[in-house]
Amino acid sequence: MLPRILICGNIQFAVAELKEMFEGCAEIVQMISPDRSHFLSSFATGGPYERTIGIYRRNVSAAAIGNFDESLINALAETTSVRWIAQNGSGYDQIDVQACKAKGIFVSNTPTVNADATAHAALYLMLSCLRHFSMAERSLRAGTWKSVISSSDTHDSTGRTLGILGLGSIGLRLAHFAHAFPMRVVYHSHRPVAAAPPWCEYVESVEVLCREADVLSVHIPLNAETIGLIGEREIRMLKKGSILVNTARGRIVDEQAMIEALEDGHLSAVGLDTYPDEPHVNPKLLGFRQCALLPHVGGESAESEKARELRALGNLHAMVQGRMGNDVVPELRSCLEQPSGSLPRI
Amino acid sequence: MLPKVMICGSPRWAHDEINELFSGIAEVIVDDAPHRTEFFARFELGGPYEGTVGIYRRNISAARIGIYDRALIAGLPSSVKWIAHNGAGYDAVDATDVSRTVGIRVSNTPGAVDDATATTGFYLVMSCFRHFSWAERSLRAGTWKNPISSALTHDLTGHTIGILGLGGIGLRLAHLVHAFPMRVLYYSRNRNPEAPEWCEYVGSMDELCERSDVLSIHVPLREDTRNLVGETQIRKMKRGSIIVNTARGKVLDEEAVIRALEDGHLSSVGLDVFPNEPSVNPRLLEFPQNALLPHMGTETQDSQHHMEVRALTNLKDFLREGKGTDLVPEMRSKL
Repeated sequence: MLPRILICGNIQFAVAELKEMFEGCAEIVQMISPDRSHFLSSFATGGPYERTIGIYRRNVSAAAIGNFDESLINALAETTSVRWIAQNGSGYDQIDVQACKAKGIFVSNTPTVNADATAHAALYLMLSCLRHFSMAERSLRAGTWKSVISSSDTHDSTGRTLGILGLGSIGLRLAHFAHAFPMRVVYHSHRPVAAAPPWCEYVESVEVLCREADVLSVHIPLNAETIGLIGEREIRMLKKGSILVNTARGRIVDEQAMIEALEDGHLSAVGLDTYPDEPHVNPKLLGFRQCALLPHVGGESAESEKARELRALGNLHAMVQGRMGNDVVPELRSCLEQPSGSLPRI
Repeated sequence: MLPKVMICGSPRWAHDEINELFSGIAEVIVDDAPHRTEFFARFELGGPYEGTVGIYRRNISAARIGIYDRALIAGLPSSVKWIAHNGAGYDAVDATDVSRTVGIRVSNTPGAVDDATATTGFYLVMSCFRHFSWAERSLRAGTWKNPISSALTHDLTGHTIGILGLGGIGLRLAHLVHAFPMRVLYYSRNRNPEAPEWCEYVGSMDELCERSDVLSIHVPLREDTRNLVGETQIRKMKRGSIIVNTARGKVLDEEAVIRALEDGHLSSVGLDVFPNEPSVNPRLLEFPQNALLPHMGTETQDSQHHMEVRALTNLKDFLREGKGTDLVPEMRSKL
């Protein structure tokens, strides 16, 4: 009998490819559970998810079954044959990867394929903050033309400095877009990036990055080390009037510190696509008219959606064929060398 | 006695430059006539504006004395020989036969507006492709991203932009979108020798419309460009296309645009200009996916300052050398 791949969420764009990819090597099953208890009990013999060896996961599934926290991971490890979780998305903070590591379950994400879409969103937010475009649009629709706009508060991008925190695939794309003006581009990552062009200046620390940037854009993953990484101290190191853009994860920035800095004008505006507790948005943010606030659509274009679906499915396809998927998350890469990281027999 | 130059619409930023540019060269007067009749009266013998040879003009003066149409130009005294308009678009200054007949020449401020205006066009393209304006309004209305369907939103990369008019602004926009890259096509009266090889010239407006996913307008408003993009051109575009206009509202046939939005032929429009600013046709607001800006193209201190200095410098060069660098194209000799 064929093993199964469980779709937690749904496949919208790569429907034909899904069928083609797994024809003859796995059955595709749709997750229909209204809650976690139904979910977990469905893997048993005779249940709708029996024989599942890999899960395609989208964050939207959390609404029904919660995040893939330690408790859920342990249950999967102990009572099912699931050995691969393919997250659709570059962010995978909703999966407890340490628990997966402990139990020998692999996790993959979809790095790079939404780099374009997300960098596009970051650029949009930056321009909106520099030029007060979002506020101007709202003023037009409210019938007040541009009476709210003061050109003494709006700026060109050219010649200003963009500070990129994390020069991964998204940060690098944004660097290229900014360079077209040109903006001066400085970045900080754990170490200098080999693929960075010569005009991308590496700086040694988050502190130096904050001091140099007119616009700081966040492009790092959310994990234990990065929660609140941009806090009161870092925000106050930015020049007065600076702009903060966050298309990564809300919790990387200390929201309270950010709001206080908007209140006293230390930050002139923020451009956000992510928030600590989505879809809830702190109403205080709405009070700052010059801010540009997107509802986590940064990675969501038709092209990016399809690319992410295909990429996630590709990891599962490799697993089904007895190979290793390409996108094992960094925390689990060390497992690739060890025998405990073995895959289920098909 | 020093020649007299008039500031018609005070600069916002270039105050020091006025002194630097005209000190010892001209007497600078400021026009604050409350209406056109009084404006003309002040040029009369013994009046404060008598003997003015050059005028620095900003659009804001139109609120008092109207635009520099044929009637105003014809009413200026023969001493006035140069109008230095602040703005790349100079449709508010009659630069045709009337000006020529009375011996007045007109300059504008090309170049100084390019960056800020191209950035505005870039923002509108980015917004329309991804329905970001709608998404922001949805968040502020408390509906998160519910109305947004990602299937209808697109990356710029790999799509085609058609630039109508590859002058300074169009070329700058080409460079900005090329970073994705977008494929860049353009149509102009003439090929642009400064265009990089990846800017593909197409031989007609029709072809530009047929092949572009987004059409961006960068031509001046003149008699021959009024409604240049109309029903025919819009229908030649692919279904689901986008139009962006940062040039002048009257270049684009607004009724044709609205029909095309209604039947979905155009998926959205990104506009910074309207036929009758600051009035905006309320029909345009009915389409939530539209990105509509209130003529923000040059609303930055940096750009406005550059534009002021550019216009004032044209006026100074006229005084010193008999002409400014930015004589408008219509008035250049055909040598």
